[in-house]
Amino acid sequence: MEWLYWQTGLAAAAVAIPLLVLMYFLKLRRIEVPVSSTLLWKRAVQDLQVNAPFQRLRRNLLLLLQLLCLILILAALAGPILFLRADKGKRYVILIDRSASMAATDVEPTRLDDARRQARELVAALRSPSLFGVGDEGDMAMVIAFDDKAKVMCNFTADKHMLEVAIDSIEPGDGASSLTEAMAVARAYAQSPGEANNDRPAVERAQLELFSDGRIGDAGEITISAGEVLFHRIGESGGNVGVVAMQARRSLERREEVNVFATVANYGDLPATRQVQLSLDGSVLRVEQVQVLARTVGGAGEDDKPGRSAVSFTVTHPAGGVVEVRVLGTDPLASDDAAWAVLSPPKKLSVLLVTRGNLALERALKACSPGRFDLAAPEAFDAMDHDAMAVEGTYDVIVLDRHGPAKLPRGRFLVLGEVPAALGMTAAGELTGQTMVDWRARHPVLQHVNLGNVYVAKAARLDPPRDAVVLAEFAESPAIVLLNRKGSTYLVTGFDVLQSNWPFEVSFVMFCVNATRFLGLELAEEAEAGLKVHQAIEVRTGSADREGQVRPPGRDPVKVNPDPSGTLRFPQTDRVGLYAVEVPDRRAEMFAVNLLDERESDIRPHEEVVFSGQAVQAASQVAGKANRDVWPYLAALAIALVCLEWFVYNSKLRL
Amino acid sequence: MSARQATTPRKLTDLLDASFMARLDALDVLSRKMLQGKLRGERRAKRRGQSVEFADHRPYVVGDDLRFVDWNIYGRLDQLFLKLFLEELDLSLHVMVDVSGSTDWGEPNKSLAMRKLAAAIAYVGLVSNSRVTLTAFADGIVAQAPSMRGRRHARQMGEFLLAAEPEGASHFEKACRQFETGRGGSGVVVVISDFFFKEGYDAGLRRLMSDRYDLYAVQMLTPQETAPDLSGDLVLVDVEDGDGAEVTVSSALMTYYKRNLAAYCNELKSFCTRRGAAYILTSSAEATEQLVLNTLRRYGLLR
Repeated sequence: MEWLYWQTGLAAAAVAIPLLVLMYFLKLRRIEVPVSSTLLWKRAVQDLQVNAPFQRLRRNLLLLLQLLCLILILAALAGPILFLRADKGKRYVILIDRSASMAATDVEPTRLDDARRQARELVAALRSPSLFGVGDEGDMAMVIAFDDKAKVMCNFTADKHMLEVAIDSIEPGDGASSLTEAMAVARAYAQSPGEANNDRPAVERAQLELFSDGRIGDAGEITISAGEVLFHRIGESGGNVGVVAMQARRSLERREEVNVFATVANYGDLPATRQVQLSLDGSVLRVEQVQVLARTVGGAGEDDKPGRSAVSFTVTHPAGGVVEVRVLGTDPLASDDAAWAVLSPPKKLSVLLVTRGNLALERALKACSPGRFDLAAPEAFDAMDHDAMAVEGTYDVIVLDRHGPAKLPRGRFLVLGEVPAALGMTAAGELTGQTMVDWRARHPVLQHVNLGNVYVAKAARLDPPRDAVVLAEFAESPAIVLLNRKGSTYLVTGFDVLQSNWPFEVSFVMFCVNATRFLGLELAEEAEAGLKVHQAIEVRTGSADREGQVRPPGRDPVKVNPDPSGTLRFPQTDRVGLYAVEVPDRRAEMFAVNLLDERESDIRPHEEVVFSGQAVQAASQVAGKANRDVWPYLAALAIALVCLEWFVYNSKLRL
Repeated sequence: MSARQATTPRKLTDLLDASFMARLDALDVLSRKMLQGKLRGERRAKRRGQSVEFADHRPYVVGDDLRFVDWNIYGRLDQLFLKLFLEELDLSLHVMVDVSGSTDWGEPNKSLAMRKLAAAIAYVGLVSNSRVTLTAFADGIVAQAPSMRGRRHARQMGEFLLAAEPEGASHFEKACRQFETGRGGSGVVVVISDFFFKEGYDAGLRRLMSDRYDLYAVQMLTPQETAPDLSGDLVLVDVEDGDGAEVTVSSALMTYYKRNLAAYCNELKSFCTRRGAAYILTSSAEATEQLVLNTLRRYGLLR
């Protein structure tokens, strides 16, 4: 037992107890009782005083009770607490993990609920500012919820109700655990007000109270000082089976055939037999039994490895749709039991070539087997309705050969030769006799493209902006540049291919195939289908005033306004599942957000969090066991004593 | 004070009811001493006088009443002898009632109980043809109803007692001195009081402890005095003189009080018995009938 305001209690006692005794002696209200004669009473009092000088004080039950009652009240005033952990006016940052693994149900109802409960207990145990203590202050706390993003739920306050409301308003997320951002935010807020106030030394830091299952991916990258973080372990057991990888893609040879691959991992100590169900647009197509081995315990310094089992399905589906792979059965974590992929219908590219005549380019583009190939003269292209083109998406790729119009529609362009002025990378001169000296062979556009033999007789000197990606370079200037401007993508080749030997190279055809595929988003197709939690959904609407609507899984639709370039962005993908984006006059687009995170699927709580060079053990005591106030019990006892005193007074009990 | 009015007796039957009076008719007042009466009465006196009770013979001297010459002895001895008889005189009964302020207290009221007792004793005296003198005393004698005799004085006796309202301080010694110097004559003296006299009772009692008087000291206490029902921190106010005593009632104090009370009563008792007086301790809660018909008869005051 400790006393928070013992000075207050002592000061009050120094005043109150002598006052009570004094008042007792002065006895302002003695009741007058008539008696026949005071003769014998006076004698009795004399006898008594002779025999016991302090009997009045010692033997008076009422005074004793009053004194006891007063002492109890004073003791309550001194703020006794059990399990003292707080010092005077400390500050706490309550970090609550709301990552996917905190949704596990090994603790009833969920780990997040348990974390909230423990955090509430901590808040309840915070020291309130004393009613009578002058100059002292209570504990303050702030609440931060984090998964891979940190969210400040409540800034520093001593208001316990506010803190509890903030804690209760934390919603579960499906992100990964990442503490870096949360720590940065916490430290920024927790920075001491400094010596300027003179009331707290600058070195005094806020205590970080981490409520987590300890599965924090980037803990090793965070440096903490000793005792800065107190870790409260949430969760009891592991034993989860989930989908950790999933992909659905069309066969390259047969576009109507869809291959679905998935990996099921078992983090339990026993082998598991599960049924994996494949459904397409909600209708079950296959169910396959899968045996997954138990996890293998890693050696010293190694992580345990889960048992993995791969599943693959092949279905024929010429149209678009949503593929779902689901592991049937119950386990503590539900969010990794399913994964989704959005299939777009097999699509042929439509290409527009704007040229005054370039046979080599025309042949090369035709070799890409586009679904539609149109040829247009520069004048005809300029006369087209550019806005309609952008919205309808008539052409996936527009190839501008030696034509740099002042105005371009939104779209994806392969620019050869003359660079449109709108790109802001106007040629700053001319180069002659150039060879490629360096190129990024790993970039999708230059895959299998060997530019070593290309000789360019005449080229423009490009001055690309900072955000442009240079894919290939001459000795003196960038040769091929990838640039994104206002929702459009430009692949700029700074020279006329007819001024080089490139059309005679195999690499030219390869480049055209890669470039059209890259720009036609064929390569981005799969990437788009598999979003991770907190990855933003982006949909091009083509107009800045078209309001769209996003239907997140299990929540009410959210209205989203597009940005000036006409792109809808929806970054609040904090739960896994299917998100439908509805834009007026267009088919609803589906986006799948998957967990697919081995670290989050492994829900075994860690006994310690290893920060950079420092391991923090889980706190042994429950957070709420700190600072248990005793004063209400003392006050109740004092009230009981007052009642007893009243009873004694009325029953004329004598000691 | 309504409580007081309720306890104030208004007629004789408030003091003595009829059935009780009927029982008292059979009683007589006794004296343990041969006392000198004034008039002829029913009691033997030491004095020789006229009665049927033979006492002695003595030789005739000139001047003796010839009616008392024993002629039978003269016939045998030829000498004149006189027959002497015991004189039979009446008995004086003095009832002294304390009417000081301190008696008007307690439940049942001490003064009322005292007056009831005095009425009973005086009534017995009256019906047995004793000479009854009632004295009310407080700070000296405040009233006296002297020399009543016979049943016809019962009304007067009752009126006297009804009129004797308890009031004022007490001075017992002064009252006794006045009583002694009055022409009361010898007789049975019954003092009914609580004997709580701050100046002491001994000086007063000593005056009444002579051969002339057969003294009965009746100490009347209330239940509230023998076992006070008090607690807490109090100022005890003396109803007689307004004197205050600050006490904190504890069990120790109560023990001391009771011990003191017992010692006080014992002291009074031994004071009386050593000097040949009778001491009777009674309570106002005790029924007057019980007191008169049992206790006083046992002590020999009544028969």
